[in-house]
Amino acid sequence: MSHVISVESLTDGGRAALERLILSLADSKRLMGIRYSDWVLGAPSLETGIATSSMTQDEWGHARLLYAMLKHLDIDPTQVEHDRSAEAYANLSVLDQPFDDWAALVAAMVIADGALSVALCAFSEGTFEPARVRVPKMLAEESFHVSLGVAWYGRLSAASDEARSLLRAATDRQLPVVLAWLGSDDAASRELVELGVMPSAEALTTAFKASVRDVLADGDVDVDAIEAASDWDAARGRASGHPDDDSVDRACGSKNRALLVE
Amino acid sequence: MIEITYDVFARKNRGDLLSHVGYVDALDDETAKVHAWTTYSEESWFEMCVVRRSQILPVNRVDGPFAKAQGGVV
Repeated sequence: MSHVISVESLTDGGRAALERLILSLADSKRLMGIRYSDWVLGAPSLETGIATSSMTQDEWGHARLLYAMLKHLDIDPTQVEHDRSAEAYANLSVLDQPFDDWAALVAAMVIADGALSVALCAFSEGTFEPARVRVPKMLAEESFHVSLGVAWYGRLSAASDEARSLLRAATDRQLPVVLAWLGSDDAASRELVELGVMPSAEALTTAFKASVRDVLADGDVDVDAIEAASDWDAARGRASGHPDDDSVDRACGSKNRALLVE
Repeated sequence: MIEITYDVFARKNRGDLLSHVGYVDALDDETAKVHAWTTYSEESWFEMCVVRRSQILPVNRVDGPFAKAQGGVV
């Protein structure tokens, strides 16, 4: 796709759809970073903890770059990053709460982080120029996240009954939600397809399924047999609900930002 | 959890000598690459490689970590 869109010429609907997409990606990256950070201490090995620390930094860096894209829509990213209620967050809903166990984080590496990479890859190939410029480096960093997630998913799939059970439960919780997110075919999603910013919901879903089919099969999960969840909040482009207050405080830096002298 | 020890080698610039920078324990080759890259991130490396310690053949010593990996004297 060679042409790029002119943001100035977008209709109100086009601008709103692009804003929703950027917020959904940026908020998801920020929350994904928080979920990785939850396991910096307590991961199964020192090296794995260091890797989750590195992935935390990657995700927050990606979030910062994505929030900055809102400037192209004349939206102040500082306000968006630091002064929003939990109810305004547009992140993937599977990231709303901390994960109870390492298996759930591993499932999120493959399913949630994997879906974000599929969406970002498509975004980088679309007509919104800032995404073409900024996103490829994110995807290069994400290749390490995929490697770690795939290796751990395979390892837990072949481990104890308890590990398999936890992994399967997390997969069953996350996969329908992520399929609904990628497979959204509402008015805003169709607007983005029309503008060439994103491919169709079907194309996104097909790409995601291809990327996870083999690894999920290790856990006896047939991705083609899973139904997308029906819960959908079109205003934010995610399921209903919102992140917990502690997560939003950490995302915004609310408690400590008051100490800043500007 | 059975992990494998990998030694990590890296060079800062094209043409530099490849240097031993440390080791990591990992589940397999793919996770070893991730652990090495994230653990030894103090430099912007031009090139980094990992080698299973068990594949390194000590030449002149029968003690130390490489000989131990081959079943030698520690």
